[in-house]
Amino acid sequence: MKILIIGGGISGISAAKVALAKKHDVTILECAEEPGGLMARIANCRVGFKTFLDEIVNDPRLTIIKQGKIASVDKKEGRFNVTLEDGQSLIADRVIIATGLSPYDPVEYKGKRVLTSLEYDQIIDQRNGELPADFNRVAFVLCVGSRSKEYPLCSSVCCSYSLREIKWTLQRAKPAITVFYNDLRYFGQEFYLEKVYRDAGVTFIRANSRYFDEDETGVNVRYFAEGKMKEERFDYVVLAIGLRPNPMLESLSKFFGFSLNEYKFVKEEEPLKTDVEGIYVSGGALEPMNIKDSILTGFGAGLRAVRNGDIGSEVMPVDERLYREEAPVIAPPEGAFDSCLFYIATDDPGARIFYEFVSSKFIAMARDLKRAGKNVYVVTRNVVAPSYDELEYEEARREGVIAIHLEEGETISFVDGKALINGPGREFVLPADRVISFDDYAHLFKDGEFLSLYRSEPQIRWNPTRWGRKKYHVGFIRHPRSERWEKREIFGAFGEMLLDAEEERALPQVNEERCSGCGSCKDACPQKAIEMEIREKVIAVFGPQVATGEPIAHIKEDTCVSCGLCASTCPSDVISYPEIPEKGNKHALECEIPQPK
Amino acid sequence: MQTTDHIMELAGHRQEDFSVCMGCKVCASVCTINDLDIDMNPQEFLLKLFMGEEIKADNPLVRYCTSCYRCASACPWQIRIPEVVRAVKESLGIEARFEKAFKKSLDIWGRVYEPFVVIMSAPDLLMGGYIKFLPKWMEYAGFHFPHKVKRIRTSHTLKKGSSSKEGRS
Repeated sequence: MKILIIGGGISGISAAKVALAKKHDVTILECAEEPGGLMARIANCRVGFKTFLDEIVNDPRLTIIKQGKIASVDKKEGRFNVTLEDGQSLIADRVIIATGLSPYDPVEYKGKRVLTSLEYDQIIDQRNGELPADFNRVAFVLCVGSRSKEYPLCSSVCCSYSLREIKWTLQRAKPAITVFYNDLRYFGQEFYLEKVYRDAGVTFIRANSRYFDEDETGVNVRYFAEGKMKEERFDYVVLAIGLRPNPMLESLSKFFGFSLNEYKFVKEEEPLKTDVEGIYVSGGALEPMNIKDSILTGFGAGLRAVRNGDIGSEVMPVDERLYREEAPVIAPPEGAFDSCLFYIATDDPGARIFYEFVSSKFIAMARDLKRAGKNVYVVTRNVVAPSYDELEYEEARREGVIAIHLEEGETISFVDGKALINGPGREFVLPADRVISFDDYAHLFKDGEFLSLYRSEPQIRWNPTRWGRKKYHVGFIRHPRSERWEKREIFGAFGEMLLDAEEERALPQVNEERCSGCGSCKDACPQKAIEMEIREKVIAVFGPQVATGEPIAHIKEDTCVSCGLCASTCPSDVISYPEIPEKGNKHALECEIPQPK
Repeated sequence: MQTTDHIMELAGHRQEDFSVCMGCKVCASVCTINDLDIDMNPQEFLLKLFMGEEIKADNPLVRYCTSCYRCASACPWQIRIPEVVRAVKESLGIEARFEKAFKKSLDIWGRVYEPFVVIMSAPDLLMGGYIKFLPKWMEYAGFHFPHKVKRIRTSHTLKKGSSSKEGRS
C-alpha cells in the first residue's frame, strides 16, 4: 500500500515510522527545504528531531519530497492521484494530514527588543555565539495571539515552552526574569519546575500587558498589579506567541474534500480520521498540542492508515498491555443554596497536575448551576483549560459565571457564607453559601497508583504511552484531561506496540550472591521496576542454625525499560547487562582471523 | 436606577460581549487615564458591574475616560469598555451638555444639526471660556431652518423596491 504523508514535521515522521514498520511505501511531502517543521525551529529540539528522523531516513521504502506543492488531486477507485506543481505525480491509497501549526506573527508589537518566543530561541541558542551584552532583565509575556476574539482557543504549549526558555536562559546567564501571565497552563512535572524557578527568583505576575515602549537601550513595560499601575524597564521582552492552524489546510481541504471546523482545524469525524475515507489526520492539524502528543497522534494516525480502516471508533481494539484507570467522579454539590463559589487553587505542586482535570469539571458544574439560576463565582489562581477546553471556560463567562482572578499576593478566606478577598490592591466580599474548592477533591487523587507514576514521569519521552515493557498507559492515568484524548491515545499506544515489537532488549541481571540489598538501585529506577525481595538465608555460626531474611534486588521484567540507571548506580557492580553478540559479525570475524601455522 | 441589564441596554450590547473578559488587565496597561497617576483598572470596573455593585459618579473611569478606545483595541476580546462607561454616565445623568445635545439631535433629526448642538451646549461653552470662538461658530452654524432627514428603514424599502420590479416585468 502507498501512503502519502503531508507534512514532514515530528507528527508526520512518527506516522511514517509506523507505516514503514508495516512494510508499506511511504512518501512524505514537505513544503519547506528540509523536514522538521515547528519542532526543528526550537534549537534544543533540533537534534532530537534529527535523531528521530535518522532512524528511518535510509529506509528504501521511504521517499521524502522537499519543497513540494500540490497542484491537483483526483480520486479514482479509492486511490488518490496527486500531481505536484513540478509535474511529478504520486499515487496514494491512504493520506495522512500532518501539516502542523503555524505560529502567530504579532507584527503590531514586534521590535528589535520585543521578540517572539521563536526569535528569542535563536538568541539563547549556544550555536549562535555569545549572548548580547545587555542581558540583565528579561520579561516573558504570555497569551499573545491566542485566547482572543480572533482565535479563541488556548495554544496549550506556550506556557510550557516559555518555562523551557526560562530554563535555557538560566543555564547560560543569570538575568532577572519576570513572567506576565493570565494562567499558567503547565502539565505534569512542569508545576514542580515552576516552583523551582519561583524559588530561584523568577517573578511571576498575574497581569498581562500590551504596552511596550521600546527605545535604543530597552523596553518600558506597563502593567497593572496590586491595584497600581507599574512601569518597569526590561532589556528584552519575549512574546509567547499563539499557535494557529496552518493556512495550507484550507487549500488541502479543497483538494482532498475533507472538512474543517470553525477554527480552521481539521474536523475529526472519528478519532484521528477526517470525514473522507482514506484520509487520516495527526498532530497540530487537529488542535494545538505539544511534541509528545504530536508523536502520539502520529503513531495513532499511522496505525489507522495501515490497518486498512478495520478499526473504527465503535469497536476499540482490546489488548492486555493497555492499562487504564477510571477517572474519579467529581459529584456536583447537593442541597439548597443561592450562591456558589468554586475555588481553583492549591499549594501542593504535586496536586496541581490535576488542575486541568478539576478545572474542566468545575467549569461544567458552574455552567449548570448558572443555568439553574444561581449566582456562581469561579475564583482561581490558575485555570488550566488548554486548546478546546478554553471554549468551555469562555462560554461559562459569557453565560454570566463571574470569574475572579486572584493575583499573586491576594488571599481568600471563607467566613459564614461569605468569601473575603484581600490583597494589596483590592478588598471585597462575595456571597458564597457554598464553597467548592480544589482541596475538597484532593483526596480523590491521593491513593491511586497513578499519582506516583505521573509524578516520576521523565520529561522527555519518545514513547508517549509506553510505561513498561508490557504496559502502555492511556486515558486518565497517562494524562488527566479531556475525554476526547483517550481514543486517540489508544490508537497511539497500538502504533507504539507495533514499533516496539521489533526492538531487541537486554534486561539487567542481578548477581544474587554478591547483592548486599542496599536498595540504591531501587531509588534510582525511574520506572519503579526494582523491588527489594527478602531471601531466606541460613546462618550457622557455632551452634544452632538460624534462618534470617536478607534483602536482594529483584527486577520486574515487564516494567523495566533497560535504561541502565540501576547498573550505573549500583555501588558494588552487582547489576550488569548481558553482552549480546552482534548478528552476523561473529562469522565474519572468524573468517578474517588468519589460522596459525 | 443602575442595574447591569439597564446599562447593557444603554450601551447597545449584550452582556455576554463584556462578561467574556478573562481578567488579563491588558486594558489597564494601555489606559490613558493611568498617565494621570490615577490607578485605574477597567477590568475591575467591568467586574464591579457584573457583581451588581453600584458605580458612582466619582469613579475615575467615569470622570476621565476620553473614549480613546485604546483598551478596546488592545483587548484580546475587543471588549468595548468606553461604550459601557458612556452608558454608566447616561444612567447617572452626568453626561456633558454637548453629549446630551448631540444625542438629542440624532433623536430628533437623525443627523447632527450643528446650530441645535451649539445652542444646547451654550452654557458650557460660555462658562468654559470658549466665547472667543463665537464668530467661528456663527460661520459654522449659518442660519438655516433644519430640514428633516427621512430615516431609511431597510426592510420597508426593500419590500417596496421588489414589488415595483415585479410590477414592471
